Amino acid sequence: MEEMILKLKQEIIEVLNLEDITPEDIDNDAPLFGEGLGLDSIDALELIVLMEKNYGIKLQDPAKGKEIFKSINVMAEYIQKNRTR
Amino acid sequence: MEKSRLDYTIITDTFASVNGRLLEHESKGGAMLTELYRAHVGDWPKFFKMDTLSKAGFLASELLLKECSGVESAPETASDSNRGNVHGSVSDSVSDSVSDGAKRASDARCEEYVQSRAVVLFGITGSLCADRNYQETIQFADNYYPSPALFVYTLPNIVTGEIAIRNRYRGETSFYVLDGYDAQSMAFHIRCAFQDSVTDSVLAGWVDSSGNEDFRSFFILVDRGAAAAPGMLENEIMKIMDKLK
Repeated sequence: MEEMILKLKQEIIEVLNLEDITPEDIDNDAPLFGEGLGLDSIDALELIVLMEKNYGIKLQDPAKGKEIFKSINVMAEYIQKNRTR
Repeated sequence: MEKSRLDYTIITDTFASVNGRLLEHESKGGAMLTELYRAHVGDWPKFFKMDTLSKAGFLASELLLKECSGVESAPETASDSNRGNVHGSVSDSVSDSVSDGAKRASDARCEEYVQSRAVVLFGITGSLCADRNYQETIQFADNYYPSPALFVYTLPNIVTGEIAIRNRYRGETSFYVLDGYDAQSMAFHIRCAFQDSVTDSVLAGWVDSSGNEDFRSFFILVDRGAAAAPGMLENEIMKIMDKLK
């Protein structure tokens, strides 16, 4: 799981162009939106695309993202359970 | 009596200057924009998410506004025109009223300009560079993942919004796509921005990007006095554009 979390952090940093952030800077339990990384709604859409492109997970209900993207830990667990690739 | 001038910045994929002073940098192209951002701005992480057009426009506006407000004195290495003038005045022959207005409009971060400053930009290729980047994400059926982050930049006027958000400007923002460098047309549209009752200054400029590594922009800060002086705006714009060609 730790390996997957690191990979996920690297993917998020790359896809969201978080150039001044390293994987170590991202707290596994910190909120991704609002405080924490301070991501916005466009970032949320990019994360949905990332999950589909890299893990084969198609979110039918984008509103679910609010729960899934609560933190890196929550997101990683969701991907682990639902990935198709 | 102090000489009048329009402050200006130029950024191309090979050099950047503020009022004629070249800024130090080691890289070129897109990497140069990032290098200059880190050296002279550094407090707006949204920069990294922008497309090349917005990065070039945002950075040019930041350098100009900082120069005008005296927040930062950009490192000086050489003059891009060898005029021997530290301030690189484009024109020394404009009216005193222009000078007064320029000084009054100089504190770029001042709340006074939240309502009264317009952002009026021009270019040839519009958002073509961002359009191409986005197209690549939808080009193949078996790799069809439209990027929302790229899509939001597929309008050229987004760069005006990025600048307005950064500075909390709520005045007019416009982006005009022209057939080519056209000082007359630019001056006309800049003057038009002053026809309402609230606009006191216009952050105006040229910003164009035909590829991620190919861009050019210049920015000027225009007050009512400069806009009203006959022919002055056209002359200033032409002189700056000559440095871009």
